[in-house]
Amino acid sequence: MTPFLKNMLVVARRDFLAIVATPTFLLFLLAPLFMVGMGLAGGMGASQLADSARGAGRIVAVVDASDVEALRAADARLRASIARRVPVLEVRIASAANTDPVAIAREKGSDTYAVLSGPLATPRIVEREPDSNAGRYLALLADDVLRSKAAGPLPPIAPKYEALSSGGTSIALQQSLGFGAVFIIFLLTLLLAGQTVSSLAEEKGNKVIEILAAAVPLESVFLGKLLGFLGVAVLFIAFWLVMALAGGLIAALQVDPAALASMQSASKAAAALTAAPATGWPFFLGIGFVYFILSFLLLGAVFLGVGAQAATVREIQMLSLPITIFQVGMFSLSTAAASAPGSSLSTIAQIFPLSSPLAMAARAATDDSKVVHLLALGWQAIWVALVIFISVRLFRAGVLSGGSSWKFWRKTTRG
Amino acid sequence: MNDFSVEAIGLTKYFGDFKAVDNVSLTVPTGSIYGVLGPNGAGKTTSLRMTLGIIDPDEGSSRIFGARPQSVRHRIGYLPEERGLYPGMKAREAIAFMGALRGLDWSEGRRRAATFMTELGLERVIDEKIRKMSKGMAQMIQLIGSIVHAPDLIVLDEPFSGLDPVNQERLEMLVRRERDRGATVLFSTHVMAHAERLCDRLAIIARSQRRFEGTVDDARSLLPMQVRYTARADASPASIAALLPAGAEPRGDSWFFPIEDADVEPLLARITGSGLGVAGLSITRPALHDAFVHIVRQVDASFDADAGTDAVEEALA
Repeated sequence: MTPFLKNMLVVARRDFLAIVATPTFLLFLLAPLFMVGMGLAGGMGASQLADSARGAGRIVAVVDASDVEALRAADARLRASIARRVPVLEVRIASAANTDPVAIAREKGSDTYAVLSGPLATPRIVEREPDSNAGRYLALLADDVLRSKAAGPLPPIAPKYEALSSGGTSIALQQSLGFGAVFIIFLLTLLLAGQTVSSLAEEKGNKVIEILAAAVPLESVFLGKLLGFLGVAVLFIAFWLVMALAGGLIAALQVDPAALASMQSASKAAAALTAAPATGWPFFLGIGFVYFILSFLLLGAVFLGVGAQAATVREIQMLSLPITIFQVGMFSLSTAAASAPGSSLSTIAQIFPLSSPLAMAARAATDDSKVVHLLALGWQAIWVALVIFISVRLFRAGVLSGGSSWKFWRKTTRG
Repeated sequence: MNDFSVEAIGLTKYFGDFKAVDNVSLTVPTGSIYGVLGPNGAGKTTSLRMTLGIIDPDEGSSRIFGARPQSVRHRIGYLPEERGLYPGMKAREAIAFMGALRGLDWSEGRRRAATFMTELGLERVIDEKIRKMSKGMAQMIQLIGSIVHAPDLIVLDEPFSGLDPVNQERLEMLVRRERDRGATVLFSTHVMAHAERLCDRLAIIARSQRRFEGTVDDARSLLPMQVRYTARADASPASIAALLPAGAEPRGDSWFFPIEDADVEPLLARITGSGLGVAGLSITRPALHDAFVHIVRQVDASFDADAGTDAVEEALA
């Protein structure tokens, strides 16, 4: 092992242990639990709210008694083939007392989206919002009832469904896989890489920086620190991956597979799993992880370099907002690129070093060429080295030489 | 390898408009203890930092063991002026960490840490965290950390400040032992007593420049020897004053005056011949302290003169 690598590992080991061997780290590690908990609570609340609201919604058809049967039959048939959720249909028999649709629409106790009244051939439809789906649906019902009346009773058709089992994955699904990769990598770097901005503050605060600077090249201090933080990030991810796998396993053992299969959401998830990214699952997951590492190193190196210039904790706190915004910017660029593979925008996102890991991970989902990833990894690694190199130059020239009040925008003048 | 462990030539550093170090050279013979002396803010620390390659000099160059300082890091031990340790680390780990930075094995570092700490009377706190220690203890830990890898060159910046007399004594012992092991020791201080006892050679830096370089005796001989003479009780002050050189001043029963080396024997002959007798007589070199103060005062006086000239010029302009 070269002395440079050895020095780097010494620094990385110190940083890793200093972070992991504290009670605060447990809080950090378990923080997503709070997020999941809050998300669950919020989600349940929202869905309950939505459920109760949905129960109150209705559409009303005021028709002659002779048409009621036909109307209900048409509703049962059409409702099944409409993707959108249609409010409950309330059928009323027309009489002199209740023919005013406006009054029905304004009845208290439920949301009435549309009311149909009058003869079916020329119905009057009162709707809450112009051009609403509820109104169109009532018109469709009326049309269907009239047609079936005119044609007389028909035998029900007996369709035979055949699923296309091995038709390959649709482009849209691959794109959403790419988007998912971008999102996950972004979220993880956002959560984990931002820490590096304050990492040199510790050494500057307790003056250890001079020991480090005297003993080892600053490049290996910077890289070692990055590596230490990367270690923490990987530990974090590994922990949650194991938790998720264990949770999944327990769930699979507890839940009856038949019940699982019958659930609509499960079958959707299964569909996503059977969908394959263009480069295949093992390669996609592997390269995704590698791109996460590079994204972490790149952003981490930039933050480390910027944070190293900050003189006080307050400056570091001020820096965290622009840094977050910058990351969100990279994320937007990469998602735009992921949704338009092959466009010039996506090429830019793939070449620009800081968005490159995100955009290239998305590309792995839609494009089956693998060599280009080697090229991208090399390109990104060069940038990591370059950023470290520049950060170290700035740090040496400024912070170490010029005392405490030095700022990189305040050029020193020579007398 | 030549006879000098450190050859820093013409080091110059500007901080903005201020010339913090001006053409300072340090050449340290291998196997010696070398002191860099100077008042506060003279530029000692910056000179040492440039010598070690921690910061780049604006002019001049530094070579250690005939090579760039950065390429021989593992052979150097350095105690910075601003002490710093990770407060959350245990003493043994902190020492091993500093050794590991210089290429020492972790387990070997831990082993040597325990040995050193026991020797220095710190065995109670081997597994104590740094934040629980007193400042002086932490400083001893850091000192051990900077020599744990048995370096060939040890650079200590103000190592004695903040230590109690017992620990200062231990540190002196440690420095001598490291020198006897074959290491070269370069240290800065403004406490003359340590320099006088320890240094083989020394440099005095004042107002950014090196004002003196040589052995302790060289420095002391910058000033004439001091004589303290006490005559027999029955002598009259006037007759004593006539016997002694002009400028001798009485203090109590004794007379004090400086003397040039060549004048010692004639003076003794005169005293013996005069019949005034000798109740007490001492002829001593002034201490390093006096030489140091003398040099620094001279430099300051020349600066004040310059400032005065400037003021006059400004007034005329």
